[in-house]
Amino acid sequence: MESQSAAIQARELTKRFGEFTAVDRVTFEVRRGELFGLLGPNGAGKTTLSRMLTTLLVPDAGAASVAGFDVARDPARVREAIGVIPQALTSDLDLTGWENVDIYGGFYNLGRRARRERAQHLLRMVGLTERANDLVQTYSGGMRRRLEIARGLIHSPEVLFLDEPTIGLDPQSRRAVWELLEQLRRDTGLTISLTTHYMDEAETLCDRIAIVDGGKIIAIGTPAELKAKVKGSDRIELEVAGDAEKIAAMLRGQPGVLDVTRDPDGPIVVSADDGAHVMPRIIAEIENSGASVSSIKLERLSLEDVFIRFTGRRLRDEPARKGGFFSSSFGMPMPPGR
Amino acid sequence: MRKTWSIMRRDLLKIGRNPLTIFTSVLLPIIYLLIFGNSFQGVLKHLPVVIVSQDNGPFAIRVMEQMQALAAGPRVITITYNSDADTALRDVRNGVYKAALIIPPDFSHDIAEGRIGELGLFTDNVDAISAATLTGLFSQATASIRAGYVTAREPKLDQIVIRPSNLFTTVDYDRSLIPGVIVMALFMGSLTSGVFNWVMDRFMGITECYLVTPPSRWNLAAGVLGSSVLVTSVASVIVLAAGLLMTGGTITGGAPAAAMLVGVIVLGATGILAMTFVILARADNPRVVGASAGFLNVILFFPSGAIYPVESFPTWLRTFAHYNPETHAVSALKSILFKGANFAAVSHDLAFLAVFTAAMLVLASMTVKRTL
Repeated sequence: MESQSAAIQARELTKRFGEFTAVDRVTFEVRRGELFGLLGPNGAGKTTLSRMLTTLLVPDAGAASVAGFDVARDPARVREAIGVIPQALTSDLDLTGWENVDIYGGFYNLGRRARRERAQHLLRMVGLTERANDLVQTYSGGMRRRLEIARGLIHSPEVLFLDEPTIGLDPQSRRAVWELLEQLRRDTGLTISLTTHYMDEAETLCDRIAIVDGGKIIAIGTPAELKAKVKGSDRIELEVAGDAEKIAAMLRGQPGVLDVTRDPDGPIVVSADDGAHVMPRIIAEIENSGASVSSIKLERLSLEDVFIRFTGRRLRDEPARKGGFFSSSFGMPMPPGR
Repeated sequence: MRKTWSIMRRDLLKIGRNPLTIFTSVLLPIIYLLIFGNSFQGVLKHLPVVIVSQDNGPFAIRVMEQMQALAAGPRVITITYNSDADTALRDVRNGVYKAALIIPPDFSHDIAEGRIGELGLFTDNVDAISAATLTGLFSQATASIRAGYVTAREPKLDQIVIRPSNLFTTVDYDRSLIPGVIVMALFMGSLTSGVFNWVMDRFMGITECYLVTPPSRWNLAAGVLGSSVLVTSVASVIVLAAGLLMTGGTITGGAPAAAMLVGVIVLGATGILAMTFVILARADNPRVVGASAGFLNVILFFPSGAIYPVESFPTWLRTFAHYNPETHAVSALKSILFKGANFAAVSHDLAFLAVFTAAMLVLASMTVKRTL
């Protein structure tokens, strides 16, 4: 499975916090140029996994490499090769947009001219040229997020990690971020690892998705592949003029039909893997039996349905986090974004 | 009533679950009381005085006995004897002693001959409180000698006088506060531009962004410390200039002294900044830094000798003051600013600050982690 062209490789990657195993022997691979999604409920271990890959946390077991460099043995090289956009808005409020990007260029030893040219290009790309010299404290949340994406790209990284990049943003800003990421993938071939719990975001943007729950990857594939993994991924709902019970019984034996249910006085619901092909056949069968179809509707399983099928409906309780002496003792709130 | 009780109950539950809040609200006032009370106690004690007696006559012995009584009874002074007046005066200039009492060779003879017996008192008037106290105390002591010796046979004892001399240019009270104000600027600057920003960045998640970029922990520590030391030092130099301007003072010693002052300010800023990092850099919330600022300021500033002489503190507070970087910063600044002291004269304070700063920098760098 491992290949030289992989941008990210993880093998049996594990992270424990005391008795709690946040990431449990996770193995996966992200190809170069791929936009890969880590999808999971709160507390699933997505952020911990991402933090190990970005050298913020040291794995307890297993191994991982990013851009060809081992995250535990060669973290400095990994840091040179990655850009990271964390969940919290972290652009410096007391600096201008330009200064935020320019200072990060210095972290990567970029010369003044290279920083200027790159910052101009990136700020133009994220649509902030006009506001580049304004203090970030005057920016909206969406503008800050776009600025942070520009900041994360200042050194032309090989892999960009984004952790919940659209959380808290209005629909317009979310769309703007999506377009930006699609543009990056299209124009630069950048490898992107996107952590999210927004199904539409994952479905719209990601080439492949790993569903993470309980610290493990429980499913991985393209959105279509994930849907195909769920039996009866298509739902055909029909109302008939005739004996509905009899028709339902007749449909149960039809090829491609996985299940037929009907609530009293409700429509007939047919579950199938390939609804588009099954639907004409069952219409023909009903009409051949002398009845007729008064309405019919094909619903494809959404990624959210797939997600719920894989992860269940149980609400997640995150493990209790021990506060530091200075925070818990003084009754002060814990910092955000943890 | 139920609504009010609900709010009370909520607050009581919250307070009860953070017992350290209650503990600190009891402990801090007690510590303040101890520090304040002992920093500003009414009577000065243990002021170091060197006595040079060049006279072995009976009246010189009587003066010495009177001084010993002061040292043994109210313990206002501690006495060291020296036979060399030049050495004694140099030590006063260098801050080893608060005053030198010199009993001249003809002191007893002059009195016996009916002339005025003069005692020389050379005070370190940069510490105006100690100098005034010692001058008054020694005048009273000689008065008691007169009272004790007024007999029909010795009618001239009322001719003993103290001739006080200030070793330095007179420093008025406002000017005498300048070193203390500078040290307070060093502390406040270190806290606000250094560790507060650091903890705030951590709280906001900004530090996390730095940690995924190439700079090493040394780059991070040096960058944060460097900017804060620069800001704090510039602010302190401005405070120094403003202080001199407002009090009409100048820097005794000219350009070399000014350079040394800047050196002490930079060294003090670095040491105090590194110390605040050691104490507070791991705090999760910037409010902790704010809450700690007042406490640290009290326990460091008041025992520093900026206002009251360190020698008069009780032993435990004197010991604390001895290891307090602000004490040495104040001492060095006073010596350079008011006494025109050269490098050798302040080398003890500078050596302490250098060692302290080095130790704190090592410890502070250990507080910077490269991972979460």
